[in-house]
This record gives sequence, C-alpha cells and structure tokens, in this order.
Amino acid sequence: MTDIFLETRNLKKVYPDGTEALKNITLTFNKGELVSIIGPSGAGKSTFLRSINRLNQPSSGEVIFQNEQITNVKGKKLLLVRRQIGMIFQDFNLIKRSTTVRNVLHGRLGYMSSLKGAFGRFSEEDVKEALAILRRVGLEDHAFKRADELSGGQQQRVGIARAIAQKPALILADEPIASLDPSSSSNVMNYLKTISEEDGITTIVNLHQVDVAKRFASRIIGIKAGEVVFDGKPNELTEQRINEIYDQRGLVNELTS
Amino acid sequence: MNLPLEEALQQQSNKQQLQYEAYKSRKRSLLYNRYFILGILAILIIWSWVGTKFHIMDLFSGFSNMAIFIFQDLLPPDFTTIPSFVGPILETLYMSYVGLLFSVTFSLFFGLMAAKNTTVHPAVAIVSRSFIAFLRSIPAMVWGILLVAAIGLGPLAGTLALGLSGIGILGKAFADLLEEIDENQVNAVRATGANWYQVIGQAVWPQFKPGFVGWSLYKMDLNIREASVLGVVGAGGIGFALEGSISLFQYQQASVGILAIFALILVVEFITAKLREKII
Repeated sequence: MTDIFLETRNLKKVYPDGTEALKNITLTFNKGELVSIIGPSGAGKSTFLRSINRLNQPSSGEVIFQNEQITNVKGKKLLLVRRQIGMIFQDFNLIKRSTTVRNVLHGRLGYMSSLKGAFGRFSEEDVKEALAILRRVGLEDHAFKRADELSGGQQQRVGIARAIAQKPALILADEPIASLDPSSSSNVMNYLKTISEEDGITTIVNLHQVDVAKRFASRIIGIKAGEVVFDGKPNELTEQRINEIYDQRGLVNELTS
Repeated sequence: MNLPLEEALQQQSNKQQLQYEAYKSRKRSLLYNRYFILGILAILIIWSWVGTKFHIMDLFSGFSNMAIFIFQDLLPPDFTTIPSFVGPILETLYMSYVGLLFSVTFSLFFGLMAAKNTTVHPAVAIVSRSFIAFLRSIPAMVWGILLVAAIGLGPLAGTLALGLSGIGILGKAFADLLEEIDENQVNAVRATGANWYQVIGQAVWPQFKPGFVGWSLYKMDLNIREASVLGVVGAGGIGFALEGSISLFQYQQASVGILAIFALILVVEFITAKLREKII
C-alpha cells in the first residue's frame, strides 16, 4: 500500500516500577535509510529499539513492520519477525565461549529446524556463507578463535556479521560504539553504513555521540524523556537543537559567555 | 553582622555533636548485639556439652582404646584377602557411575525446568524446585534403607539411592548455575529468531557447560564415598563386604577393605581432576 517500511503509533512503555520510558512515540521509517536516534541516557532509546523486535513488550501503541501489525504477535510468528530484524548491542553480547564463526552462524538459527539448530548442525552452505560474511567485515583470519579472544572493535564486527547472516530487512543497533575507542568506533560505523547502503537494509542506530550521528546518518531523531523532540536531516540539527535535546542550555551559555 | 555568623557556627557544632551521639549509640547497639550472639553461642555449647555427656578424659582413655584396637586387631592387614575385595570395589564403581548418569540425566531436565530463566512456565519452576528440594532433604543413606526394604539387598538399591539423592544435589546446582548465566548473551541469540531449543543449545549450553562438567565430576567423587558407606545398610558395594568382615570380627580382613576404599577414592579423584582439566 504505502512505501512506509516501519511505523510506530503512539508507542508507550511503562515499566513495572512506574517509570514511563516511552510516551507516545509515533515515527515512520523508509526502506534503506540509516537513522540515528540520539538523546541523553535514560531517554528511552534502548526501550524503543527493544519494543520493535519485542525483547520488550510495549504497554500500548502499535508497531507496523512491512505493512504488518507486529505489536502482539506470538510464538512462531514472533520468531519469523525477529528473524528479519538483526540486532547489535552495546556490549556485543556474543556467546563468549563459542567460536567467532559459530557466533555468526547463530544468525541462521531462525531458518533451521529446532534440533539441527539446538545441536549446531549448520549446513555447508550456511557455514560458507558465514565465512564469506566474516571476510566482508575483515575477520576471516579470526573465524576459529573464541569470541572473547577478540578485541572490542572486532567483537562488534562479529555482532554485525551475526546480524547480516540473518539476511535482515532491518538492523537495530543499540549504542554499538559506546564501549569502543574512537578508531574502532568509526570503523564499526563505517561497516554499518556500507552494509545499509549496499544491501539496502534499513538501519536504526542509537547513539550517544552527536558528531558521529551527524557524520553517518541520513536522518536524526532526538528523544528526550520518552518523547520525540527532533526529527530531521543532520544539517537541521543546530547547536541550539542539540542543547534542547540534552538540556544543557545553562552549561553551554556559561561556556560561551 | 557578627551575630548570624556565630549562630551558624554554633548550629554547625551542635549538629556535629548530635551526629557524634548518633555514631556512639550505633556503636553501642552493635556491641550489645555482639555480646548477645556470643552469649547464645556459649549457652548452646554448654547445653550440648552436658547433653552428650562429654568429658575431656574420655578423649584420652578413648585414644588408648583406639590405639589398642588399631595395633592389636586391625594391623597387620591380611593382604591374602585382596581378591575377595576386587568384586565389591568394581561394584562400588559401577554403582557410583550408573547412579551419576541417572542423576545427571534427570537433573538436567529438572534443573532446566527449575531455573527462572530457562523454565517453560513459572509454575513449573516452583514445582520443579520443590521436587528437587524434597529429594535433597533425604540423605542417600536413608534412601538406601528405604530402597533395600522395597526392592531387596544388593547394588540396585544402592545405585537408585545415589541417583535419587544426586538429583537433589545436582538439580539444585544446575538450576543455580543456569540462573547465573549472562542473560544478555541469551537475549542476543533470542533476537535472531531462535526458538527455545535453539536458545538452550546455542546460547545457554556454552555458558553452562563448565559448571555442568565441574559439578558432575564432583558428584562422582561424592558418589564413591557414599557408595562405600551404603553397603552397611545392605545396598551393595565395598561397604557390604566391609560390614561382613567386621561383623565376623575379621578385623585384619576389614583393614584391607578400608585401604581399598582409600585407594579407590584417590584414584577416582585423580581421574576426575584430569578430566576436569581436559574438558573445561
């Protein structure tokens, strides 16, 4: 019907302790764009991403993914939705004791039978594909190392490889560079951007660093206290708008005067 | 101009004094607590001392009796009886090993069901935890007595006794290990669209494996000890042979049995230690 790829309508999340993490988030995302969500810690960025692939259950509102209402899907249907959504985490969340290639192969689990998946009987085709993806993120020489032997930047690239192995339509990256040094950070962001462009994968990246968001994203969304306070092109994000998002007016005035 | 400042200083020092009083009273109540606990411990010690009719002198007279028993009756071991202990030693090994396999198999199932993060339903977790706790509350020795009465003398009763009490110990250990794993790693695999079986096999198992191996091998060590004693109630193994020699006053024969248990435990502990190194 429309070419809107992903849409959230009045998305709300209240945690059991009464914290209102999301208040009425209504957003639309187009196919293939790389969107960055910025905002202070605790603004609800993570909760928003996790509401899309349902690692969190939203309290109310709707998530519409490729013209399908997925807010309340359960069981097999939920697994099929998750299979199409790759997720990248701040702390990488690789299975530390498993090899790198095994971690990438985890991206194939959604396509396998229960038993084959549980015992890790991956097909020759899947293994070759996983190795090819590792080559793509520059880690082919580390395929048989344990995941926790890699550096932070390398582990995050394995995280990206795991997401690509899912052949996803959407990638959610939750603060992917918050635990990395500046050079690994731009390396990881480059891979995310390249993959988003080459494979046409819609990518939503939560970020702390405004400058990184401005450099890599084609669109920036600012979230503050569970509400959208900015939605526009990177060049529309002026100093003043940034201060509004991070509520630093006082501090900045002091510094500039 | 001077007055408000002095007042403020006065207030400040009053507040300090109050805080110091609070500090002292806290310290005093801690001290009282300590005296109270020490008092209760002292009462318990005296009570049990009187209750068990313990006398220091008994230690000395008992010691001389022990020495006489060891040097006159137990020593020297009658090594010609070694062949008669080979069968029972092997039986003890079989009982321990089969008992271990039995308890590991069922503990995996009940442990998975009992751990909050891997169970299929919270209610199942509660039932599973309770069942494990019930099995744990009955010692292997008591299971042995019950099972000998139910299915008769012999190693089968001992094996089942080890297996059942083992579920109590391993089931709890496994469930606790599972609850301690890093849930973030598990969530990452869940996010790929993996189902329950796949999450267990690919995300939970790698984290659980070292603890699983460690606990299972440790239980093998424990089983050898318990299996050695279980024979005393008729549940087979080396203890059964030992009990036989002792009730016939064949103490020199019994001392060979005791040495055999000693050797068996050393050998098994050595092997499990090596296995642990290899696997983990």
